[in-house]
Amino acid sequence: MQKIKTLLENFNVLYIEDYKKTWVKTKLSSADDLLEVAKALKENGLRTIATVSPTDFIAENVIEMNYFFEDLTTNRNCWLKCDVPRELDECRIESLTPLFKGAEWHEREAFSMFGVKFLNHPDLRPIIVSQDFYDKTPFRKDFDWDAHDANTVENMQKIVDSFKDEEDENDKGIDANSSETVLNWGPTHPASGPIRLKVHCDGEDVIGVDPDIGFVWRALEHLVTKKDFIGAIVAVERLCFMDNINSMTGYAQAVEEIAGVEITEFAKWMRVLLGEVSRISSHAMGMAGFYNALGLHTVFMWNMDVREYFLDFLESYSGARIATAAVEPGGVRYGLQQNMLDELQLALDKFDATKGSIKEIFINNPTMKTRASKQGFISANDVEDYSLCGVVARASGVKIDVRIDEPYAAYSQIKMDYVTQKDGSAKDRLVNLFEELEQSIEIIKQAKKRIEEKIASGEFDPTKDHMVKVPKKLPKGEAISRVEWSRGEVLMHLVTEEKGTSPYRLKMKAPSFNHTMMLDKLLAGQTLSDIPLVFGSLYICQGDLDR
Amino acid sequence: MEMIFNIVVFPGILYVLLWTVGLFWFFRKYMAALHKRVGPSFNGPAGSYQTLFDLSKLLTKESITPDGVNPHLFSLMPILAVIIAILPTALVPWTANTTVVASEYGLLGLVVLIGVEPFLLFLTGFGSNNKYSFLGGIRVLTQMISMETSFFLAALSPALLFGTLSLGSIVEQSSWLSFLILLPGFALYFVALLGLLDQPPFNIPDAEQEIVYGFYTEYSGTNYFLLKLAEFAEFMAVFAGAATLFLGGYKGAFFDGFSFLFAKMLLVAMFMMTIRAATPRITMKQMLSFSWTYLVPLSLLNVAWIMFAKIFLLGALS
Repeated sequence: MQKIKTLLENFNVLYIEDYKKTWVKTKLSSADDLLEVAKALKENGLRTIATVSPTDFIAENVIEMNYFFEDLTTNRNCWLKCDVPRELDECRIESLTPLFKGAEWHEREAFSMFGVKFLNHPDLRPIIVSQDFYDKTPFRKDFDWDAHDANTVENMQKIVDSFKDEEDENDKGIDANSSETVLNWGPTHPASGPIRLKVHCDGEDVIGVDPDIGFVWRALEHLVTKKDFIGAIVAVERLCFMDNINSMTGYAQAVEEIAGVEITEFAKWMRVLLGEVSRISSHAMGMAGFYNALGLHTVFMWNMDVREYFLDFLESYSGARIATAAVEPGGVRYGLQQNMLDELQLALDKFDATKGSIKEIFINNPTMKTRASKQGFISANDVEDYSLCGVVARASGVKIDVRIDEPYAAYSQIKMDYVTQKDGSAKDRLVNLFEELEQSIEIIKQAKKRIEEKIASGEFDPTKDHMVKVPKKLPKGEAISRVEWSRGEVLMHLVTEEKGTSPYRLKMKAPSFNHTMMLDKLLAGQTLSDIPLVFGSLYICQGDLDR
Repeated sequence: MEMIFNIVVFPGILYVLLWTVGLFWFFRKYMAALHKRVGPSFNGPAGSYQTLFDLSKLLTKESITPDGVNPHLFSLMPILAVIIAILPTALVPWTANTTVVASEYGLLGLVVLIGVEPFLLFLTGFGSNNKYSFLGGIRVLTQMISMETSFFLAALSPALLFGTLSLGSIVEQSSWLSFLILLPGFALYFVALLGLLDQPPFNIPDAEQEIVYGFYTEYSGTNYFLLKLAEFAEFMAVFAGAATLFLGGYKGAFFDGFSFLFAKMLLVAMFMMTIRAATPRITMKQMLSFSWTYLVPLSLLNVAWIMFAKIFLLGALS
């Protein structure tokens, strides 16, 4: 840490300060230094960039750029800021993509949403937004959404026209006598979900893949600014419905940090308990998605059978099975009753009863192994270069897990270790997924035991302790909060105004965005049959891909 | 009169329709049990009307012919596919004395008619003017070429053993001993059958996660119904072939009859469905190398084994 600080002192900075245990926060006085600083940080081991997040300060007439650099091996991180002018013509900054491959799509996103131009970016096309938002800046504070929505017909026409142009464009530049063609894999494809991969292929051989994303763009990051701090959780949890609890935990922690509120021990344990149940519900779907991509639906059905019991628990706790809205700033929404824990016990028993056969038939499946252990290799080096995280990173042998690296909620009191594999093939990611399921069960058992003990001893009052008051108006401030979401690290960057009643800016860095970036690299030179396998193994959810 | 009965009722169109509806329902129910689901349960006893409704719905829906295809060829293919798929039923000895065409060369006819079917499916894909269908068509052809060699060699092993191509006399001559001798042949026949019928792990031609629905993609309504009918009629021909050639056809315990043949066919179907529920798809490359490095050489070895058994085992007994 000290090394990073001394290094930063060589540059023209406004301040350098410690933030939390693992972060150094700094602001450059001039955006021109950015490239030099980034280069120096990279040489110092901070090889990963989590995300690029612009904040539009309309009153000061600047756009503040936030860069989050991470070192996955030693867990030293740097939060770097710099200002760029707000005027569209001058709103430009040096691109970091040549140094950090993982920044490519994040910079494209900043370009599409805020109109920040990145110099020397290899491929600065708009991403996520549909064609009617091209050359507009939807996330800036002065963007007129009503005016945009008033022209619905013209907007639709723009999208239609651009698709037609693209159809004409596709076959241009391709030799008419060759067997080369452009094949759409999605968005209405049986296995794709709402994402489109433009697959350039020669017969069965894939030449390149160009992902087109944004089909479920709900502008969540804009939506939260229209809601109050409590109401924002329903937008945050829709990052992906499969694991909604952990994303809400991340948001709630950021709000609590700005408000200066410390939640109760009981609420911390409840966040662990609920979060792991939610992780199980997501991982079960992830395994199912992997096998669905291989044309085998039995795993899906068998996992759903188990998952229902865990959803029963969530339902008994919050009244909803999927979109629970159960975590909010200040703790967890409801108290705990014994019958809820009984439901949870049923689920744990069900998992233990079925895991043997699922492991034997589907994790050790010889046919799956012949295919998946030879496909989709991601090296530990790639993980750092492309900022991958979660299951994908751990399957490549990289030991990262926010629950251990930067413990939140009650994770510091949990006994757990990194679950990793060696090779980083598609098979390893499936195996890792299953082993993490088992790990989550272990964590739930620990948390449940602890909660039951403390309730019995009278330390926890499950009907009152779940919530502390968080003021409705927050002071001016900003915070970042990281959680280990089921797909990997989610980084929430929250900015508030003085006496603000709603978030001024919330950036949600979600893992699938980086994982989708890998598709071209993993699939070029493979065959069409490998597309669903690799796609399924990356555990991508379009919800957090588009946000 | 008997001719008309054969064509319209048994073992002709009505029988095939009934088989299709019944087997479709059976597949759904059996698969549901393996999936820990209920399966169709609302319409009729145990949901048995559901398939009937589904198929009649397909029949009444509009058949869409895509732009840029030859409409006659496009609609002719499904009809041809059905006819070719139903024809083998005439050659199968359903009981000791109901064989419509009791030919000396029944086995040859059965094998050829089964082997022609993938060509028609290839043409449906080829004539659809759709990238997915086209890829599906090519996949059908590739799979057919690699799988049919071993299918034919395996199907001909009873003929070698008994010295006849007549299906009727193959069934008559079969015994427990011949069943054991033909066991490796049956295993090869079964593996090749999975490839021929596009069943997992060889469901490569209509791999929906890769190429949507392969050669089926552009077909809808009646045309799709006809293609599905052809697929199930093909199931019947191949299962009946398996039962007749290797499992002793209509012969049974205590008495002989059609019910035994039917039970044997269902047994093969259940085995196929169980594999379907537990095995993911393999790739084209894997299928090709599996077929040419293992399946075809083993089929040739099987022929040698049959000759050996015929001379030294059966020859020694007689």
